[in-house]
Amino acid sequence: MNDLANTDLSGMQHAPMATSEIMEQHVDALSQEAVKVDIRRLNFFYGQAQALFEVSLPVAKNAVTAIVGPSGCGKSTLLRVINRMYALYPGQRAEGEVLLDGQNTLSRSTDLAWLRSRVGMVFQQSTPFPMSIFDNVAFGVRLYETLGKSELAARVEESLRRAALWEEVKDKLDRSALGLSGGQQQRLCVARSVAVHPEVLLLDEPASALDPISTAKLEETIVELKPDIAIAIVTHNLQQAARVSDHTAFMFLGQLVEYGPTERVFNNPRTRRAADYITGRFG
Amino acid sequence: MNGSLDIFSRRNRRRFANMLFVATCTLATLMALLALAAILASLLRNGFGSLNLAVFTQDTPPPGVAGGLRNAILGSVLMCVGAMILAVALGMLAGTWLAEYSRDSWYAKTVRFVNDVLLSAPSILVGLFVYEVAVRPLHSFSGIAGALALALIAAPIIARTTEDVLRLQARSLREAGVGLGAPVWVTIRRILWKSAAGGILTGALLAFARISGETAPLLFTSLNNQFFNLNMLKPIANLPVTIFSFALSAYEDWRHLAWAGALLIAISVLGINTLVRILSARGQA
Amino acid sequence: MANPSATGALLPFAHRRARGAGFESLFYYACVGAATTLLCAMAGVCVLLAVGGWPAISTFGLGFFTSTVWNPVTDVYGGAGPILGTLITSVIALLLALPLAFLTAVFLTEFCPHPLRRPIGIAVELLAGIPSIVYGMWGLFVFAPLFATYVETPLMAEAAPGTIWERLFSGIPNGSGVLTASIILAIMILPFIAATLRELFLSIPMRVREAAYGMGCTPLETIWSVTLPYVKRSAIGAVMLGLGRALGETMAVTFVIGNSHHLPRGLFDSGATISSTIANEFAEATSEMHTSALLALGFVLFLITFLVLALARAFLGHGHNA
Repeated sequence: MNDLANTDLSGMQHAPMATSEIMEQHVDALSQEAVKVDIRRLNFFYGQAQALFEVSLPVAKNAVTAIVGPSGCGKSTLLRVINRMYALYPGQRAEGEVLLDGQNTLSRSTDLAWLRSRVGMVFQQSTPFPMSIFDNVAFGVRLYETLGKSELAARVEESLRRAALWEEVKDKLDRSALGLSGGQQQRLCVARSVAVHPEVLLLDEPASALDPISTAKLEETIVELKPDIAIAIVTHNLQQAARVSDHTAFMFLGQLVEYGPTERVFNNPRTRRAADYITGRFG
Repeated sequence: MNGSLDIFSRRNRRRFANMLFVATCTLATLMALLALAAILASLLRNGFGSLNLAVFTQDTPPPGVAGGLRNAILGSVLMCVGAMILAVALGMLAGTWLAEYSRDSWYAKTVRFVNDVLLSAPSILVGLFVYEVAVRPLHSFSGIAGALALALIAAPIIARTTEDVLRLQARSLREAGVGLGAPVWVTIRRILWKSAAGGILTGALLAFARISGETAPLLFTSLNNQFFNLNMLKPIANLPVTIFSFALSAYEDWRHLAWAGALLIAISVLGINTLVRILSARGQA
Repeated sequence: MANPSATGALLPFAHRRARGAGFESLFYYACVGAATTLLCAMAGVCVLLAVGGWPAISTFGLGFFTSTVWNPVTDVYGGAGPILGTLITSVIALLLALPLAFLTAVFLTEFCPHPLRRPIGIAVELLAGIPSIVYGMWGLFVFAPLFATYVETPLMAEAAPGTIWERLFSGIPNGSGVLTASIILAIMILPFIAATLRELFLSIPMRVREAAYGMGCTPLETIWSVTLPYVKRSAIGAVMLGLGRALGETMAVTFVIGNSHHLPRGLFDSGATISSTIANEFAEATSEMHTSALLALGFVLFLITFLVLALARAFLGHGHNA
């Protein structure tokens, strides 16, 4: 469900549907050099309720991995473990391992701010900061680097170009970002995230609030970002997953049911549940 | 038949009762409006005549001599500004803590409860507290004590509005800032506070309007001063206490000045309230 | 600090610290400190009043609450006058204000022609913003003489001797007194209660009211059977909040209550409230015991208002803006 439904103060989402009953699973292997983020045996809890069960999933380098599944299956929860966004809310905890380039980010000693500077996130609701477009994109950069004026301007332009937004805003960089349209705001959030040169980019249903044209532009952007970044995208829209992703993970009731190259999963699903979902037997 | 006649008269009874109700409601509202009109009219009638340039250029006079309210106005402004600086600092930080750092701990709940009580607590008791804390130990009434008392009245208002307004900010806004790797306080300062700025300003203005009319807490803290004095470490003249002593006195001149002062206070309070209204309307547009 | 190359490759786990990261705990402690300061302020008020008032209460014991003898000369103090005065004026004020506030709120939400709603709503809120000293002056110089001429004198003349009316209307017809103070207080808390009730009424989802109207209810019946029960709890809280304000009001009351410590014999008689007593006497308190007696009165006021405000909050929940 979208963010607006989550009004609980502790950040708990509406009761996630999950089951510990082990399901039929099929995971295609991925060679180690191709893996950027390796999730191993991840269990996640909202308080007492368990939402993720023994999820083991690789996120490939320089590729787009789509995470699909019916509402409440744990896709967003999984995404938010990768950048440890859940740590903002007491009562939520994760067990297992999430290896970024071989090192476990779930360990206590991980510096969260630094982790998040390497793993960017774009949310379902576009979140422009209350400042100018330029300042929005420069925000993260200013936090971590000291760039001269021209260097910073170059970085902002580079990011806006990568987000396919430059042409539309190049003349109004110091106008407030709040004046942009929904699709533009979302691309601004993408630009903002890539400006800090993250190694991983997490997208949580980024196009669900956008019209088809903006969605198409956003999908183009995602595909173009691929060469430099490992991208994981959660989406409700199977066609979108088929369009943009190289790998697809299908989740159900808190477990990973199937993972493999997108073409294989869509054309030749190896588990019955995945087959049912993809053919639309349940939504 | 009896049945249809019954319904007929019952319907009429209901309609009559409703009409009576409407009339009573209208009457009640008119009475409230009448009270407002009466008060404003008296203020204008009694105060306007005494409002002249001398009020702003001359200090409070001894009885029987013409004078003005300059020192009282300045003293009030000084104390209110000082109080607001302290109250905004205290209130914004406390409200931020309640909204961002600690929402449901028992400590936060206690602070919230206490804050709500302080909001509506009798202001004279706050004055007594500040007297014991800041006046008696130093053996002197002072402008600072007065500002302190006013700050303790304004801070809960600002804390409350800050917390409310911060809570309204979308959760994803905070996550977006933190998600870029910003430290939490940078996210609060540069994103959340900015986003909530309108609401925080409204709270501050309302608090200012409230304390500019407060008299009771100043009675034992800043006291009053007949002379022009900008030294905050001494008793300082202020408008409300001046009005209080002048109004209850036997001297005609003093009473006129009291009305002028009352008019000034009313104008500034109503002016600030109107400003708040304009700002929120514009913010929503 | 590691500098990323153009394509963003970084040395694995090269640590960079965000600008401003060092101040994180400082800011956090500043916030906690501010919150704690507010907590301490209220604790301080409570403790101070209790400690300061203890000498008086321990000296006079229960008599402090029952005796009306207040004599700075002999240093004997009994606070029954002000305490009862506070309670009486506040209760009468509430009784006067509540129906009017309720009816006004209903008018603004149901019957008022739409173009007039905003202006009248604003007018009511302006009434709430007027500082109490202005109310006090208006009460003393404008209202009191009119009240004396048109209400007190005729009523006192008409009241047949020996009846309850005579007792009720006894006093001095100079305009000051318990009833006058109560009326001024009522005018002060009316806009607050009206505005709060109005917000409560507006917060009811339209479909609930539509359901009632759809059945053919008249506005009166809708208000009575649907609207009011829906907001009953919060409405009680709002009323108690108004009561809490009336209890603590100082300046408006001090001007018109007459300031005498004996129990008022009738509505037009003069009396005192705790806050007016403190306001009048604290600065010139003649002795330690006098000061202590005043602080003890303050403590009583604190307890009463604390109780009322805590109850109000319990009814309102935290959601409402006080």
